[in-house]
Amino acid sequence: MVQERIRKALALMLAAALALSMFGLTGCAADDGGETDGETTDGETTGGEVQTIKIGVQTALTGPLPDYGLAAKNGVELALEDFGTFEMDGTTYEVELVVLDDKAEPTESAVVAQTMADEGVVGVIGSLTTGATLSAIPIYFENRIPQISGSVTGPKANETGADTFFRTCWNDAVQGEALGVWAMELGAKKVVLMDDNGAYAVGLADVAEATLKAEGVETLRQNCQSGDKDLSAQVANIKEFGPDAVIFTGYHPEAGLLRKQMVEAGMADVIFMGGDGIRSAELVAQTGGEANAEGIYATFGGFPEEQQPGYAAFAAKYQEKYGEEVGPYAQNNYDAFGALIEAIKQAGSTDTEDIIAALQDLTYEGVTGTFGFATEAAGAVAKGDIVVEGLTPANVPRYVVKDGVWVSAE
Amino acid sequence: MGATQTTPVREASRSGLQDVLARVPRWAWWTISIAIAAGFPLLNLAGVVETAWLRVGVVSLIFVLLSLGLNIVMGETGLLNLGYIAFFAFGSYTTALLSSPKFEIRWPFLAVVVVSTLVAMVAGFLISLPTLRLRGDYLAIVTLAFGEIVRLTIINLVPLTNGPNGVTGIYSPRLFADAKPALEGVQAWFIIDKPIEYYYLVLVCVIVLAVLLTNLKNSRVGRAWNALREDELAAISSGITAVRAKMLSVVLSAGIAGFAGALFAYYSNVISPESFLFMQSVIVVCMVVLGGMGSIPGVILGAIVLQALPQLIREAAGAARSDFEVYRMLIYGILIVVMVIFRPEGLLPDKIFRREAHEVDPRELEMTRQSLFDLEEGQKDLEV
Repeated sequence: MVQERIRKALALMLAAALALSMFGLTGCAADDGGETDGETTDGETTGGEVQTIKIGVQTALTGPLPDYGLAAKNGVELALEDFGTFEMDGTTYEVELVVLDDKAEPTESAVVAQTMADEGVVGVIGSLTTGATLSAIPIYFENRIPQISGSVTGPKANETGADTFFRTCWNDAVQGEALGVWAMELGAKKVVLMDDNGAYAVGLADVAEATLKAEGVETLRQNCQSGDKDLSAQVANIKEFGPDAVIFTGYHPEAGLLRKQMVEAGMADVIFMGGDGIRSAELVAQTGGEANAEGIYATFGGFPEEQQPGYAAFAAKYQEKYGEEVGPYAQNNYDAFGALIEAIKQAGSTDTEDIIAALQDLTYEGVTGTFGFATEAAGAVAKGDIVVEGLTPANVPRYVVKDGVWVSAE
Repeated sequence: MGATQTTPVREASRSGLQDVLARVPRWAWWTISIAIAAGFPLLNLAGVVETAWLRVGVVSLIFVLLSLGLNIVMGETGLLNLGYIAFFAFGSYTTALLSSPKFEIRWPFLAVVVVSTLVAMVAGFLISLPTLRLRGDYLAIVTLAFGEIVRLTIINLVPLTNGPNGVTGIYSPRLFADAKPALEGVQAWFIIDKPIEYYYLVLVCVIVLAVLLTNLKNSRVGRAWNALREDELAAISSGITAVRAKMLSVVLSAGIAGFAGALFAYYSNVISPESFLFMQSVIVVCMVVLGGMGSIPGVILGAIVLQALPQLIREAAGAARSDFEVYRMLIYGILIVVMVIFRPEGLLPDKIFRREAHEVDPRELEMTRQSLFDLEEGQKDLEV
């Protein structure tokens, strides 16, 4: 009998859940109706009218990277406070955020992108990961919705060249090209490229290798696994090849170990370089001492935080609002929202085609620097990539270890 | 509990409804279900339902195919497979390579689907060779490992699969001619490109497969599978070749997963390893178990319910305009737990599994007795 009662309660609960969701369906349908009403009144601009527009935030609050997802959402919400209300042609526009979670999963991402289109957003900030973005891009493209990601760094994210995709973080490939160019500037004729089998490192090494090969530099490719504790096999291969330079595209723990074992094998003279994955203060200890670390080179994608013009102010605001350190890519997402609003203002319209066109011509002063977006793919730069004033792929910030600390190599 | 404890009045009303439902013939159920499924996109065209629901519908139907496939090994033959998504991956990647800019190959849709199915079947055959000696937990562990091996291979086999970057820009299906490039915007009636077109394509596949599998279930082969599931030794001694029957079951289910994978690759335009995680295998197992192991209508319903539930909760949260959306996976989990506790035999259980999970309702016993067995013998059998 008790079980019977629980069952009844359960049935009621489920019925309530169902009723609630039906309400959800009708509720959304009603929203759409209201929106079209709003758009029709949009034509006749009466002074002091308030118009609500929707901007989507496609992020991953559940799944494998909730900390990144939350930081992205925080960044956008901070930007909403600063730019969320603006005037255009005598009308006050108020932005309403539509925050949806894609679990960093491609299938869910497609549904989220379609939901954004159904909701009638004028633009989307996101998504968070390259994998999820891949399946969202065609849907935003078909529905003509501009999409700005603040954290997708995968070189192949926009392989299809959709004109609706933009990003305010750096494409990994740019550093790959920068490393190749720098190695050649340093006079390297034989170069070893080594990655840690991760997507980030492999992408970087691929581009660096292509850059070097195009100029006739002889290369050797090696790899290790993240977490490896012995690289003597690779060091033996490197020694046999006899390179002028070694480019390691992974992260500092393996980079330090590689450098240490290379020095032990008598290759202290070989130039050692890497991407921003090795530009960590911990690297020096990981190479086994200051002497080993001396002269290691590293590039960085975009300006590092201490050189970003608006970073200090942003970090203070972020700290005040959320009571924690700035999360990964939060400032890039803040800039993405700011740039979208700026594009709407410059377009003078909330029509998405106009916004896409405005984004392509945009120059925006953001936290991470003054930037625009690449209109065409060129070398390592893909269509829609961030183009920061004063920085080209061959000219990204360069660093070197001097007396145990990273200093600018300029 | 049971019918004896309830009052006569309630029993009368309950049995009234149940009798009415039981009297509706099976073809009528199928007709109603197909009509609802086929009519669903019309609601979208009429503006009642949002397009996101069509996408949920397409993915749900693809998972219906997957669940129907897994049901063959798990429900009918009783072999637990925890790496089923690997066959799905074989189909997806085959399609991605045969119809994308990766190698600039543009095979027509029908050829790609057939090859994808065959590739998955070959994979199923190969994995069945060493594993069919195993039973129960051991088989589960081996299949789990197989799923992970396939996923890790995909991630590391960069020249073929692009590793973690995935294969992008898969061409939309054209039934006979070469595939068209993605993002070109060419429209013709025979190109399958929009969610609604995919929906009907997959729906037709589901209906055909459901009919085929229903017939198969009631055939000699299906009964051999059931016999193996219930008692392998008895089945063998009745003249069933266990290895052949099991292998057929594994290969067939792998083929269905490969076929579903091909449709999935076409539909999603891009394929990356994130779609083939262990969790996805678990979800398909849940669909089969919660729908009703061995029951084709049950498995179909289970897949649709589990796939659509997160979006349903999302919509409910959207109405409330709150951060409630983030909790949808939590609620999803709770609902699964609740279902397992209160309806272990599944939503629309198979006759045999229902008997195992619950005490037998006398009325049902009566019906079963009349339909299946000789009067005297049947009653003795079932009351034990």
